[in-house]
Amino acid sequence: MGRKAAVTVNRPPDEVRQLWSSSGHRPQYIDDAEAAVTFKPAPGDRGTEIHVDLAESAPGGKLRGAVQKLTGSEPLAKVKDGLRQFKQHVETGEVPRSEGTPEGESLERKLKQRPAQPLSESEREKVGV
Amino acid sequence: MRANVWSGRNTVQVENVPDPKILNDRDAIVKISSTAICGSDLHLYDGYIPTMRKGDILGHEFMGEIVETGRGVSNLSVGDRVVVPFPIACGNCWACRHELYSVCENSNPNAGIAEKFFGHPTAGIFGYSHITGGYAGGQAEYARVPYADVGPIKIEDDLTDEQVLFLSDIFPTGFMGAELCEITGGEVIAVFGAGPVGQFAIASAIMLGAERVIAIDQYDYRLQMALNRAGATDAINFAEDPDVVEQLKELTGGRGPDAVIDAVGMEAAHGHGALHAVERVKQATRSESDRGHALRDAILACRPAGIVSVMGVYGGLMDKFPTGAFMNKGLTHKSGQCHVQRYTKRLYEHIRNGDIDPSFVVTHRLGLDNAPDGFETFKHKQDECVKVVLKP
Repeated sequence: MGRKAAVTVNRPPDEVRQLWSSSGHRPQYIDDAEAAVTFKPAPGDRGTEIHVDLAESAPGGKLRGAVQKLTGSEPLAKVKDGLRQFKQHVETGEVPRSEGTPEGESLERKLKQRPAQPLSESEREKVGV
Repeated sequence: MRANVWSGRNTVQVENVPDPKILNDRDAIVKISSTAICGSDLHLYDGYIPTMRKGDILGHEFMGEIVETGRGVSNLSVGDRVVVPFPIACGNCWACRHELYSVCENSNPNAGIAEKFFGHPTAGIFGYSHITGGYAGGQAEYARVPYADVGPIKIEDDLTDEQVLFLSDIFPTGFMGAELCEITGGEVIAVFGAGPVGQFAIASAIMLGAERVIAIDQYDYRLQMALNRAGATDAINFAEDPDVVEQLKELTGGRGPDAVIDAVGMEAAHGHGALHAVERVKQATRSESDRGHALRDAILACRPAGIVSVMGVYGGLMDKFPTGAFMNKGLTHKSGQCHVQRYTKRLYEHIRNGDIDPSFVVTHRLGLDNAPDGFETFKHKQDECVKVVLKP
């Protein structure tokens, strides 16, 4: 099984590094996983590559304990969700929400989509939008 | 509000659903004045696009009036009349910065699902399955428009809805199909499919300077529209003679068209009985998702070193792709969901200048509540149907 994931963010490395560790943007799941994260300038005008390697996460890191047990989810898929949401947030200022996936990209929603029609008021409260 | 929802293969119904609300700062809500059924909606209707769910609101060609804007939308005001492009695009990512809006890297919140099918995610699309995001569509009274500061184009003169509505999809889609052909003047272009996108591909190829444009279809009424309204110079009806490749050779002195446009997509019909029957069975049993007669013929007909421009929608895999012809003739293959936002202003100007009146494709006007009839009429090409516009 793959243990690596990467995304390219359309911003210079200094800015990406800074946002990655800021409280408003830090991807909680990847942070909790204590995975190895590296930042590289992308070729040309393409911004910054962020590489996450789960195989190098700290032994006994929180990922292998509580988080994984609680969610029972595939860790790499959750890392990918976190990377995409980080990219979306940094590049567009928000995490896009559809009616099928109102929380924004998430492993749980990939498996259980809502119908693509507006949420009722009670659903919106539940999702927090 | 009332909305047309998908509820299974060959079934849509108009239902009451909750009104849309702003979910993000860059959203706007549009009160829809006109919305259309697209040929690509028929792929959903016929059940060939995966990841549909019961209750999905369909529709990606719509326009109307802004009734609410999020805090991040400063270029639009309540009351503005807008046409909304079908791809949802953030305007910030590398793809959007290069005007490649239909492959926006951020607007699809189901990127992980799309990656499984296509290798990479593509842009979110209104009302077009959950691979393209699971966004509610515009065959409804209202729609939420994400990244509303990027997509919608304001209409500021007294053109009718039907004259500007198709800036949402089929006019730019046809135009991009022609633009990909790299027309510089004097070319012969063959357009497979004389449906709405084909009509606009023909009109656009002429606008861009093609000398001859050959329309190919199995319905005479559509070929007549191509000849009389879109500006095609020649027509081939493959219901009368299925050997399209040979006919194209005859019409081009043996050379073949300089470029071919596939405006058909995954549910191609064909005069060749045997192969078509095999493919119908494969598609019905889901062992092949895309019927490829039109694309195969397009590749075989195209002159050596020509361009194959694919605007018809495909969803998965097709068999018997003619790799030999494709490689040995040195063809260039170009395609994509249309980068609508790249073309809206330019094409709006063409409409304002009177260079083209896109309303010529409209054959049917129905109330939103009659959307199910509209789908049936369009699907079965009843009553010489080309384009259905719905009024909420």
